[in-house]
Amino acid sequence: MSHVDDRGDSYDIDELLGAYALDAVDDDERNRVEDYLAINPKAAEEVRQHREVATMLAFTGMDAPEGIWSKIENEIEATAPAPGPELAKVFAMERRESAAPVATDHRSRRTQTWLLGAAAALALLVAGAVLVAGIRPDAGGDPLADALAAAEADRDSIRTELVADGSDAVAVGVIDQDGHGYLDATALPQLGADQTYQLWGVIAENGDVVSLGILGSQPELETFSVDSAVAALAVTIEQSPGVISDGNPDGAFVGTF
Amino acid sequence: MSEQVRTGDVKAVLSEMSDGALAVAIGRFQQDALAEAYRRHAGAVFGLARRLLTDHARAEEIVQEVFVRLWNEPDRFDPERGTMRSFLLANAHGRAVDLIRSEASRRRREEREAAETADAGYDIAREVWDLALAGHVRDAMETLQEGERSAIELAYFGGLTYREAAEQLGEAEGTVKSRIRSGLKKLRAELTDSGITVGSGTE
Repeated sequence: MSHVDDRGDSYDIDELLGAYALDAVDDDERNRVEDYLAINPKAAEEVRQHREVATMLAFTGMDAPEGIWSKIENEIEATAPAPGPELAKVFAMERRESAAPVATDHRSRRTQTWLLGAAAALALLVAGAVLVAGIRPDAGGDPLADALAAAEADRDSIRTELVADGSDAVAVGVIDQDGHGYLDATALPQLGADQTYQLWGVIAENGDVVSLGILGSQPELETFSVDSAVAALAVTIEQSPGVISDGNPDGAFVGTF
Repeated sequence: MSEQVRTGDVKAVLSEMSDGALAVAIGRFQQDALAEAYRRHAGAVFGLARRLLTDHARAEEIVQEVFVRLWNEPDRFDPERGTMRSFLLANAHGRAVDLIRSEASRRRREEREAAETADAGYDIAREVWDLALAGHVRDAMETLQEGERSAIELAYFGGLTYREAAEQLGEAEGTVKSRIRSGLKKLRAELTDSGITVGSGTE
């Protein structure tokens, strides 16, 4: 594609892709290239490849000096994100190709009215309640499954089965004494693309309901952490990308400790 | 189970996560995931920043800035568009170049460079010599024409625009622009021929 530069000279914008990838263009050219990349996937792929080559050139194998990580920790703790829509952000993740609900015995259902009752007065807390990425339980090595098994075997851990009225599916929640939590949600049925599961915890001390994260439409083995004693876990079904508070009680899977 | 073992479990999980999964975890405010990303990539980020800025303290600031930004805006990283290392290095490079191109920064840098040997900072092999990868990178660089090699070095490690590089090299701007592109393509081909999968590694 030909363009005319600020000197009135015609040029092929593709010729700029290498220089652009190395930040070797001026601001005006950068803007033009970025407009071009937005409509030309082939050019965008070329830039991606150039940057990967540059990464190889920059690879020094050295360690960063000591002390930087402490500064980073201090800065991110000082600017911890406030509760808000960030919580509901959903990231693309690798998922199993097909759902494989696990058949379970029919179990007595705990009432889910706690969630309904709590919903009106939810004080959503984000700090200290975080969820890490899920890992496929059938993945090679599966260190997360091993970690879950170890946590279940630890007498100091607490465990609950999350069940819902009208469903035979059961999710298992385990929290060890250090607040590391595991949720085996592989048995939960796959939701539609416009829905997501969301994990909640009820703080034992004050009954606050805390969102522990967004699980996606086909959750698997997930981990989370809590810094307070948790009396119950619940997994609700929400419209994607999830909600900040007032989780939907319909069809919620609930387990108390 | 001891606390150490449990902590080790979590770290073991994180250490085996893909860059994409780490970004997910960072997006969920999991600080251990950011620490793992730092462990994997901070050295490379620092090395590039120091190379560009020739200033240890400012290179440290770049590292801090890049990782704090990853924490605050993890969704800017798209694993389908490249590796996390490439993403972080591109961030660091762009920030360093911004600093270099500011007049005050340029003046300080020129003063420092004046006190150093004339060609210091333009030998890629010196920076990567002690790595297994270094041999392949060096060999690949040697397959380039001198004009291609100089253009890439001045642009990437010198922080110059292709126009500034052209002026320094006494070449036409269009020539240098084309040489950067063709040189990068040749490097990729050479590294691939050497069995290096460009853009696949995290360590």
